[in-house]
Order: sequence, then structure tokens, then C-alpha cells
Amino acid sequence: MHVVVLLKQVLDPEIPAKAFDIDQGRKAPKVERAPQVLSIFDGNALELALKLREARADVRITALTLGPQQADEALRKALALTCDEAVRVDAEEGALDSHQKARLLAAALRLLEPWDLVLAGRQAADWEAGQVGAMVAEELALPCVPFVSRVEQAAEPLAVRQQLESGYAVVQLGGPAVLTVTNDETNVLRAAKVKDVMAAGRKPLRVLQAGEILADLGESAVEVLSLALPPKPERAEIVEGGSMEEKASALARRLRELGAI
Amino acid sequence: MGGILVVLTLQGGAATPAGLDLLGLAAEIAQVDGGEVTALALGEGGAGAGQGLISRGADAVLYCADPALARHPGEAGMQVLAQAEREVQPDLLLLAADSVGRDLGPRIAARLGAGLVTEATSAALHAGRVEVTRPVFGGKAIARMAATTAQAVITLRPGAGAARAADPSRTGTVRELAVQIAPAANWPTVVRREVEASSGPRLEEATAIVSGGRGVGGPEGFSLLHELAQALGGAVGASRAAVDEGWVPAALQIGQTGKAVAPDLYIAVGISGASQHMVGCARAKTLVAINRDPDALIFDAARLGLVGDYREALPALTRAIRELS
Ligand SMILES: Cc1cc2nc3c(=O)[nH]c(=O)nc-3n(C[C@H](O)[C@H](O)[C@H](O)COP(=O)(O)OP(=O)(O)OC[C@H]3O[C@@H](n4cnc5c(N)ncnc54)[C@H](O)[C@@H]3O)c2cc1C
Ligand SMILES: Nc1ncnc2c1ncn2[C@@H]1O[C@H](COP(=O)(O)O)[C@@H](O)[C@H]1O
Repeated sequence: MHVVVLLKQVLDPEIPAKAFDIDQGRKAPKVERAPQVLSIFDGNALELALKLREARADVRITALTLGPQQADEALRKALALTCDEAVRVDAEEGALDSHQKARLLAAALRLLEPWDLVLAGRQAADWEAGQVGAMVAEELALPCVPFVSRVEQAAEPLAVRQQLESGYAVVQLGGPAVLTVTNDETNVLRAAKVKDVMAAGRKPLRVLQAGEILADLGESAVEVLSLALPPKPERAEIVEGGSMEEKASALARRLRELGAI
Repeated sequence: MGGILVVLTLQGGAATPAGLDLLGLAAEIAQVDGGEVTALALGEGGAGAGQGLISRGADAVLYCADPALARHPGEAGMQVLAQAEREVQPDLLLLAADSVGRDLGPRIAARLGAGLVTEATSAALHAGRVEVTRPVFGGKAIARMAATTAQAVITLRPGAGAARAADPSRTGTVRELAVQIAPAANWPTVVRREVEASSGPRLEEATAIVSGGRGVGGPEGFSLLHELAQALGGAVGASRAAVDEGWVPAALQIGQTGKAVAPDLYIAVGISGASQHMVGCARAKTLVAINRDPDALIFDAARLGLVGDYREALPALTRAIRELS
């Protein structure tokens, strides 16, 4: 069984707001010195793939990314976590809309066939679009199961858990499909072993040129009109008191005055 | 601009608050540009719900309750939506940023080659096209975006608050969408559904929520949250960090990728205030933060704040609230 995981390297979403600045020319964040990390739900997707490989012996995992050379970091991380292969589609992905990205990723996926599952994060941690996974499914004319958090049955027929607003569904697959992965307590990405990190540095990365796998990218269908810092909010009213008992009583009183209790 | 197709899911035979927001937004846009608003109602009870949807802003209602929608929500949903799109030929498709809209929105946009903007917190017509506002980069920036194509797809976040009061004098047509769904062998199939079990009120319905984050430090700490929640007659929620640590199940996660809740009172305990969390509780009437860091971001979003260690603050607050009531 061949599983391809779509990984994206993004601006670290945990950097403080103070460290975040906008390049108005490009309508994008300034990222020259900002740390980049593997997008968080992609980490969950990778963990799900690793768990699946632990549950059945025949699983082979390929990590696929679309981006400039810097995106290789995501692939190195995947290799350090013992993914079997790593492929990058070389493109300035920041200039592409979700559909263009999905078309490029779908073109790369066709070259990587045969595979059984494609895993994506439910949403990238930068622009938070939540589009590429489902669009890849559409481009490949494959079914898509969104918000998957774990594999319920690793043997055929494969069944996965889909998180819903009011609980979850167990969904049985009927063949190759794209899953978009959400987090739960079982799919937090593990840490890589030191020896695997060393070995990963020596493994080859395959690079595909965007222009060679897809002749016509078409026009972007979406335009960013502006990107701005949010307005400064008002700070909360902080309850005062000499002791914790006093603070707590003051808070309870204010809640009563506001009609909240 | 031409027509608008609004995709909404019926629950218990009625539109959800997210669906009513979509209708309200669509009616607002249509009022300016004169287009017709068609609601596509998925799920049981469409015939009965039709007039209600019209009173809330639809000009026409198409409904479909094919049982395949429950067994194959994504693939059957796409067939139904594609059929409705062919019939209505809308310039704009509006879906909720919920489990249905986040699934179907990107797929239909890719199929149609239409520009897609997801997770809108507001949208309005400017010079003939719909401009969308949405937070990005965890709320560290706000983007204004628009489709450059003639046809656009937008998903609107629940809580965007565009719903209109019912106007019973409005009239329109209600009919069943004729669509033949032939499930293919490779379609994913829902074989089981589990509605989450919880003691106390469900998060979505709770009037008070005490929510814990990484600052709670471990599963044991959540017992203090449960005690406070009990004193308030409320429920316990959590941040993603607390879920990732394995302290609470994912069903408790509140936020952009968890639940969106709207209690009268939301008490965030040991939560730093990342915007991906805050969008889930932004509709709380009164937001309280308990955090030991006086500079925590959460005090920007909260109405009331208590600076201190939650391990001392919660028992004291539980007592103070019991004394008042
Ligand atoms: C695309 C995307 C989607 C996301 N979706 C969600 C989502 O749906 N929901 C969500 O919650 N997160 C989500 N996140 C994660 C989010 O960005 C934050 O990482 C997360 O909310 C942080 O959780 P936290 O506030 O509990 O932890 P932290 O940020 O670690 O904050 C812990 C806080 O506890 C305080 N503290 C520590 N000890 C104590 C004590 N003893 N007493 C009182 N206070 C104490 C600290 O001062 C600190 O402020 C998402 C992220 C991304 C990128
Ligand atoms: N440039 C990329 N390279 C590889 N995968 C990507 C890329 N962009 C998006 N994805 C995948 O699609 C998911 C959703 O991304 P988005 O639609 O941008 O929020 C991500 O979590 C990734 O799994």
C-alpha cells in the first residue's frame, strides 16, 4: 500500500504578533528571518500515515511538497521520521492560488502512481485556506473524506474516523481516496530519532520542475486586495484584590453585575 | 450580477444558524444587484422548511433528502450540488464554513473553475463583485480577497451574523430537486455515526463554558474546571494544545478547527488567546480569562480578567459563585 502525504512548510504560526510584519508590495508577510515549520495539520497527516504503517507491514510513504528549495526542510523532516521517499515540485508557490497548487500537486501525483491514499492537512497554518486537499481530489476525480483523525480499521476495507460537529462518523473506503486530516489526541506528530535525522540528511530528494509536469497553469482565480494588521483591541478589565479570595469574589460580583451568572 | 445559490444543511427539519446567516448575506447582496437567491436545502424536511427559508431571504428553494446524502455525504453531496448549479447557473455560490461547506466548497470551485474564498467573516458587494474579509496567519493579519472569475464560491464562518428576522410576507417557489444518485463502488461510505457522549450540557448548547488550555498542566487539573462548570451549570471545553497533550478528547476542542460555541459566559483558563482558539468562542456574551501572565494575549479579547495561578483561582471562584447563588 502506497500512501502519499502532502506537506507544506509555512511561517511558524506560533511566532508572537509583535514579530509579524507585512510586505505591502507582495501582500504577504515578511518572512526573510522568520522561522519556518511543517504546517501543523500536515504533521497530523504524517503521523496518521506512520501509524498506518505500524498497523500493516505493506505501507510505503512518500512525502510530496510544492514550493521553493526552502520547502526541502519539510521533506527532510519527513525522511527523518522514516518516510520512504520525498518529492518536491519546484515552484514559487506563494504566487499561486489553491486551484493552481492543486493542479500541480495532482500532476505530480499522477507521476507517482500507483498509490492508494493521498493525505493532506485539513488547512495550512499560513493562509488557512482549507482548499488544496479537496481540490486535489477533484482534479484526480477521486473521492475525498475531510476531517479524518485516525484509522479505525487498517485491514481492507480500510475505515477511517471523520470528525464532525457533533461527534464522529466511521467511513469505509472503497478504493483510492484523498483524506484531509484534522487533529485529535492520537495523531500528534512524534519526534524524530537522532540517528534517523542523520540518515535523512543523506537520502536523495526528487525534484520535479513545475513547467515539465504541467504545461499550462492558467490564471489565478483569486486576488488578495489587501493584507493588514488587525485593529488593536481593548484590554480586559482586570479584577484586583490583595488575596486570591478577594480577586475571585470581585470577579464573581462583576459577573453578577453583568448578568453573566 | 446573476443569481446566488445558497447551500444549507437542515437539522431537525430546519435551517441551522449558519444557514440563516448565509441566507441573510445572500439577500443583502441580492437587494443591491437584483439577483435571485436560491436555497439548496440538504437533508430531511425540505418541503416543510421551504417557506421558512423564503421568509429568511430565499426567493426559491430546492430541496433534496436522498438517503445517499447520509451514507455518502461528500460524493452524493457533490452530485446534488452540481445538479443544482446546472439548473440555477449562479454567479455566486455561498456555503457555510462547516463540515459540509468546507468539504463541498473547494470541490465545486475546482470543478467549475470558479474563484474560491473560504472562512469569510464578512462579505459585501463592491463594484459588482463580492469582496470578502477574513483573518489569516492566526489572526495576525486580515485579508480582503475576491474572485477574479465571473463565478465565485464563498464559504462563510458560522457566527458571521448576517441572519435576517423572518418576514412571513415574502413569497417564493419550493420544489424538490430532481436528481438521480447512483453511488459508485469507490465511494466512501458512512458505516457508523457516534454522537459524542458527555455528562452535563452539550458544548454547543451550554450557557456557561469553562475551557482549559496548556496552562492547566495535566488531566488532573481539569477536575477543577469541572467543579467550576458544575457550579455554573455549564460544560467544559479545551484548546487544541490541551487536546494535543492528550488531557481531554478532541470533542472538547473549541476554535477554528474545533467547535464554535456561543454561551452567555466563557471562562478561558490557562489559554493564551491564539486567534484560532478565539474564533470558536467569539460569540460568547461575556468572556473571562484566567491566566498567570498579565501580558497574555487573551486579555485583549476578554471582557474580564483575573491574573493568577488557576489552581488557586478556580477553587476560590467556585466558592464565590456558589455563595452568590
Ligand atoms: C490552522 C490552525 C488551526 C488551529 N485551530 C485551533 C482550534 O480550533 N482551537 C485551538 O484552541 N487552537 C487551534 N490552533 C492552535 C493555536 O494556534 C494555539 O496553538 C493553541 O490555541 C494554544 O493553546 P493554549 O492557549 O492552550 O496553549 P498556550 O499557547 O501554550 O498557552 C498556555 C497559557 O496558559 C497560561 N498558564 C500557564 N500556567 C498557568 C497557570 N498555572 N495558571 C493560569 N495560567 C497559566 C500561560 O500564561 C499561557 O498564556 C490552531 C492552529 C492553527 C495553525
Ligand atoms: N505547497 C504545498 N505543498 C504540499 N502540500 C500542500 C501545499 N499547499 C497545501 N498543501 C496541502 O493542502 C493542505 C491544505 O492547504 P490549504 O488549502 O492551503 O489550507 C495542507 O495542509 C497540505 O497538506
